[in-house]
Amino acid sequence: MSPPRLLRFTFFQRAVHWVVGVTFVVLLLTGLAFSYPSLFWLTTLIGGGPAARVLHPQIGAVFAIGLLFMFVLWVRDMFLDAPDRQWLGAIKHYAAHEHDKVPPAGKYNAGQKLFFWVQSLLGVVFVATGLLLWFPESFGPGLLNTMRLLHYAAALSGGLLLILHVYLGTVAYPGTARGMIDGKVTTAWARLHHPRWSGERVEH
Amino acid sequence: MPDTLAIKRISATPSALIPLESLRSGGPVYSKLVDISKCIGCKGCEVACKEWNDLKVEQTANFGSMQSHKDLSSNTWLLMRFNEVEVGDDLQWLIKKDACLHCEEPGCLFACPAPGAIVQYQNGIVDFNQDQCIGCQNCVSGCPFDIPRFDKSTKTVAKCNMCIDRVEVGLEPACVKTCPTNAIQWGIKEDMLALAEKKVETMKRRGYEHAALYNPGGVGGTHMMYVVPHGDRLEDYSLPAHPVASPAPLHGLSVLRRVGSYLLGFGVVSALAHFLAVGPESPEDEAWEPKP
Repeated sequence: MSPPRLLRFTFFQRAVHWVVGVTFVVLLLTGLAFSYPSLFWLTTLIGGGPAARVLHPQIGAVFAIGLLFMFVLWVRDMFLDAPDRQWLGAIKHYAAHEHDKVPPAGKYNAGQKLFFWVQSLLGVVFVATGLLLWFPESFGPGLLNTMRLLHYAAALSGGLLLILHVYLGTVAYPGTARGMIDGKVTTAWARLHHPRWSGERVEH
Repeated sequence: MPDTLAIKRISATPSALIPLESLRSGGPVYSKLVDISKCIGCKGCEVACKEWNDLKVEQTANFGSMQSHKDLSSNTWLLMRFNEVEVGDDLQWLIKKDACLHCEEPGCLFACPAPGAIVQYQNGIVDFNQDQCIGCQNCVSGCPFDIPRFDKSTKTVAKCNMCIDRVEVGLEPACVKTCPTNAIQWGIKEDMLALAEKKVETMKRRGYEHAALYNPGGVGGTHMMYVVPHGDRLEDYSLPAHPVASPAPLHGLSVLRRVGSYLLGFGVVSALAHFLAVGPESPEDEAWEPKP
């Protein structure tokens, strides 16, 4: 008998997530190739230096549109409430899996909400600086150098977020990734990680 | 001394920051010296450049100046700029030979992410290899003299290569060869510096009290130097007064790279550490715990 399961993400949400996720990984790898000479060989993965140079901004445009959809789809759920602030105070216990000391989270815990806001902010930086770098002849050299450093800094922060995001969503909390694959999570998982959400779901 | 093409720096390799020492010592280091006071504005050098380098001709139009083209392009590596400037009561042409200055510390090379697309030779020449160029135009923003030009059809960047194919067989660049007044001279850089000093002295004696050598230290000196009669009016010659292209921004970038590596490494290590310390948390674990 398969355990009862709850729908966590709709097909559209999952599709948008994976468009953003896959494009970000490709952008990160090609971007690392451009900024780390020792990693220039990564451009081979998508057809060599010139191809990477042409594709990077185009994939970036898809990424930006995906990110915009993501923002619109999720923003309503992402405002921090009072229990979220308590959750943040207890983040140490959350990391240690002492979940009896962690205030119950709703559909998204405060960490996930903050992730959303940081990611959105980085997205704005990526797009604003990336557009300037895409059309370099339209702007002055001094500005471009600054934009490049900003673009790199945002990308590296995004890379850190990606590592933590993948770790937390797969290895650290088994069962989480199912929500982004077929969209459904077990009720046991929901009760453990998002008690307020699973409670709502049970009542309705 | 032999003419060699010993390499000094290659873009996007460690040699960009730490120049390679020549295995063969003491090869010649060259420089052009452009004496602006001797230029008669014949543009022979422009033609010679086009001809030797087999660059496509561009349609030009009169735009109210003696200048041939409005700007450099990927096909026009050399342009005599005819700046009309009032000096005292006098209207003067402050002509500038606009082409790559071949910096000792080349900002284009420091900015380039494609290994081998920009090479600096120990003889002073900075050359672009279009076959390695990825067309990102970082070199355009890295150049303090606004020289490299992007070619929209080939998606690569081009500029003056100091006629490297002539220099390597002991000839002077085409513009030097053709100049009828010796306004452009060519030789060992030290000799050119000595010659420039004499020229400046002569000009000062003749009343050009601000005559000066243009060999800006902000880019480590250049391998095309100018003697300018009005050294106090560099901007009027379209020469930046304080060009900077030290590897400093590259060092800034390499600091950012290092910080980035630590940041990503920190992410991986902390995830691993967390996994080893507290492991995964799974709803199934609950079921294993004995009921209180």
